[in-house]
Amino acid sequence: MIYRKQGHTERWENGTLIRVSESGAAREEGEFFECWPGQSASRRVVESSSIEDVVAAVAKIECERLILMRGAAHHEYGEQTWREETDRLHASIVHGSFRALVDSTTRRLDDLFLVASALHRIEGEREAPQHLRIAPNVSAAVLPFLKDAKQTTGGVDGYGNPITGTSASFYRPSYRVRPVRMLFNVALEHEQTHIDDDLPRAVALLAPATGIELRVLIEDKARVYASSIRVEKIAAVATERIWYPYGAGSFGAEMML
Amino acid sequence: MESRLAHGQAIHEEDGSITASDVRDDVLVARAESLLGELRDAMPNDALVRIVAEASSDGEAMIMTVRIGELSIVTDPAHVHEDVALLRNSLDVAKPFRRVPIVWQNGTAAILLHEAHGHPLEHDREALQLPDWLHADVPLVMRRQSFRDIPLLRMQHVRVAQTNAPFAIPEDHIEVRMVDGGTYDPLSETITLRVSSSSIGAFEFSEARANIVFLGARGEPQRYPGVICSREGQELVVGSYAPALITTFR
Repeated sequence: MIYRKQGHTERWENGTLIRVSESGAAREEGEFFECWPGQSASRRVVESSSIEDVVAAVAKIECERLILMRGAAHHEYGEQTWREETDRLHASIVHGSFRALVDSTTRRLDDLFLVASALHRIEGEREAPQHLRIAPNVSAAVLPFLKDAKQTTGGVDGYGNPITGTSASFYRPSYRVRPVRMLFNVALEHEQTHIDDDLPRAVALLAPATGIELRVLIEDKARVYASSIRVEKIAAVATERIWYPYGAGSFGAEMML
Repeated sequence: MESRLAHGQAIHEEDGSITASDVRDDVLVARAESLLGELRDAMPNDALVRIVAEASSDGEAMIMTVRIGELSIVTDPAHVHEDVALLRNSLDVAKPFRRVPIVWQNGTAAILLHEAHGHPLEHDREALQLPDWLHADVPLVMRRQSFRDIPLLRMQHVRVAQTNAPFAIPEDHIEVRMVDGGTYDPLSETITLRVSSSSIGAFEFSEARANIVFLGARGEPQRYPGVICSREGQELVVGSYAPALITTFR
């Protein structure tokens, strides 16, 4: 069976706007994978909303790197068709010798403003407190590495199959890559959901998450410092969830260690 | 086996933005397929191989990546036999890394200068202080991986040369034969190099670039097969040439 995709993206990369329209198809037969650009005369027009308003909204934040992206795509696989919208924000902000990373969506700029504000008040490095909170934008980054995190039901995967709590799903970020098995929209539930709001809070990543050990920016009332934490002994996870673009999607939630 | 065809164009608009689409140019596609044929004819049949042929208004490229075990090189039809021979002769056993002088063989010093000199220039940092006998030619030009990418100021090549350099190899040293990759962090001014083959096997080290001290060099620049440089998600081949070079740590 042939997979087809048509789409349009607008991407703002460090001061330059690029609009990309393309279509393509892919075919798999056992270990063979082939893809090629589509040249369909009946190319579907897929519109995406403008990104320039977002650029204006974040203009006050001085970023080392700022990548904003919005797009829309139409997918076909056999008899199944589906539409997907993409919305990404990636920023790195530097203050002194510290760099904070923000991965979110252009419809949620709060993280960027809060992280930038906290980073500019950083005092230096300190040992992490024994008990702390982890903000949703940070917990979302670590969820793909937690064995108890589960896939959330909803939407379709790279073959157009419904994403359920039990079935295997396949992630296809581009028609140019073979789909890979992956958990979609991971989330973590915990029997304890009450979060102590007085605890210090990890509000940003200071390095990409590559496991359960994280470099984070911690805000403790007026004090802000860098530290390293290990995400284990989770004491509570709040029920309110926010989607973040880690892996095939991750639902961050306020977490307490 | 995997096979990918891509084509497209990028139009630079008057307002500074770029409009890109997957428009096909039959002449360029035919030329790329012809180059692909040359790559297929030259590729070894007993290794994991990735071949890429490109034809664009900016020029042409033939890239062949050959992997045997944990080691890989980037080569082309003209150099594939000698480069694969280097690859086969570089499989060795690892020993602990010690902070001793390093002798960079087979053109690997180009990777050291790529990270410690070239990337800082891309980020508008100060050039690395080199001794009078060492010269690094690192032209920066606007390059992009594909029509979907925004051109960035990138290294075109790294060509290191020496003139009347001293060359006395310290008794206690590590000889580097192949380098798998490296990074430069503009915030900390630190470089990290992943050595894949050396007299102590594979190892990795991170160091402030200001701590690299150049002790000597010998010979003509030698082409190093293996530099695909990744920045902002765009992978580009950077031609790399260097003589044998001796460095130590400050």
